[in-house]
Amino acid sequence: MIEINSISFSRGGHQLYSQFTEKLEIGESVLLTGPNGSGKSTLIGLIGGLLKPDSGVIRINEKRVTDLSASEQASLRSIAPQRRTFTLAFTVGEVLEFLPRKRRIKDNSYLFAQLGVLDLLEKKVTELSIGQQERVSLALALSQRVDYYLLDEPFSAQDSDSSGRILEIISELKKEKGVLVISHNQDAFSNSFDRVISLV
Amino acid sequence: MKKVFIYVGGFVLLLFLFWLSLEIGILQLHRSIFSLIGKHDVDATTVWQVRFPRALGAVIIGAGLGVAGSVAQGIFRNPLAEPTLIGLSSGATLGTIALIASGTSVYGTRSNIASAVLASGLTALLVQWLAPGKGFGFLLTGIAVSAILTSCAGLLISMSFKPGIQSITFWNFGSLTLLNNVTVGMIAPYIEVGVIISFLVSRKLDIYSLGESSSHYMGVNPKRLRLYAIIGLAFLIGASVSAVGSIAFIGLLVPHIVRLMIGPAHRKMLSLSALVGAIVLLLADLLARTLFKPNEIPLGLLTSLLGAPALIILLRIRRASWISHD
Repeated sequence: MIEINSISFSRGGHQLYSQFTEKLEIGESVLLTGPNGSGKSTLIGLIGGLLKPDSGVIRINEKRVTDLSASEQASLRSIAPQRRTFTLAFTVGEVLEFLPRKRRIKDNSYLFAQLGVLDLLEKKVTELSIGQQERVSLALALSQRVDYYLLDEPFSAQDSDSSGRILEIISELKKEKGVLVISHNQDAFSNSFDRVISLV
Repeated sequence: MKKVFIYVGGFVLLLFLFWLSLEIGILQLHRSIFSLIGKHDVDATTVWQVRFPRALGAVIIGAGLGVAGSVAQGIFRNPLAEPTLIGLSSGATLGTIALIASGTSVYGTRSNIASAVLASGLTALLVQWLAPGKGFGFLLTGIAVSAILTSCAGLLISMSFKPGIQSITFWNFGSLTLLNNVTVGMIAPYIEVGVIISFLVSRKLDIYSLGESSSHYMGVNPKRLRLYAIIGLAFLIGASVSAVGSIAFIGLLVPHIVRLMIGPAHRKMLSLSALVGAIVLLLADLLARTLFKPNEIPLGLLTSLLGAPALIILLRIRRASWISHD
């Protein structure tokens, strides 16, 4: 379980979280929505150990995030950030093998087919469209072997077809994992999730 | 298949240049170099005591500079992050000659190499600490710090009468003239350590190319990675500068050539960067000492003269190979 225990966090004099408590369990998919600036991505930064809460505790599988090294954290949860900066002309295949084999899921064929990255494996990641890059980024995050997946705006550059396929992956994934998805577009996707958290 | 061809071709070229380096020079050999093995006359001494360490040194240092360039561009995520540009080389220069000028140590000793390594690493940390960002701010900071340290080095040289301190031209443009079997044997282990550290961080450099936060999310601590990479760079650059001064453009050019041949994956890049770096330096030194025989052209002059235009051409071909987000 990812357990967010009465955290407070402010940035630039603006209180984004005050005594905020939530949890994400294995077997559920949760949609986190809210307007721009409501702190959706900040929450991923906090769970992901990039930001530290002013007070309160975040635990993943009962371990405090702040006590874990970057690699220990990465063995528990995987994060697809909103944008990844692909600066070097790696092929998509190379990017998807960045992590050592033992940290990747054994069978990625369903995932890669569903995300439509199989045809892209030989292509240079810097030459892809934004939508394709986003799917490669998702493939990279979802092929990591962890208990929890946190996806920041995975639909933002996708058409309805690909969005539908990503939703299928999520409903498949949540049978054994916990999935938290950020989207500013609540109406379009809320029915596909077990639970919706709305930030204001 | 293409890869095998590149490596085999490169290795053959390296062997050929190595043989050429033993064969050609101011002194005309009268016999083949193979008949000189185990001999002690003038020809044999020239080949084994002068040309051989110089050629071997060029291979080792060239390989080190090639690897250093690849690591530096990767860790500072900047296609122009060359050791001579970002202060690593000038730090090493100052570290070397400060010790010689103070009389604590002389050229080519263990303590001298160690102080170059230390000064090089500290300079990299200083530049990183002073720099406002990762892009141009970082480069400009590096250039500024470099200029200060080089000037300090020049001042020390002008004030010192210690033998063996060499002229500022030697340190600024680099030269392999002083290499002998002892010096080469002394710097080789340092460069080896630098290369090993570079290989240990190579996979993480790939992940790090996705950015600081992505890298953290994927389990690579960017701060720690930078520290390890800088230590590796300090060993590579410190050792080579302490022996031959700072040789420009190899560390800048080689990674771009290599990326063009086999792509940007750092693990693959490093071994080919070593090979290409060795070839380029060996060739440059061969040209430097034979082009205008019996005069020798300063090596750095030649690497800049050949390297800079080559770089401009490469950058124009490969505009798309490095997308800048700064």
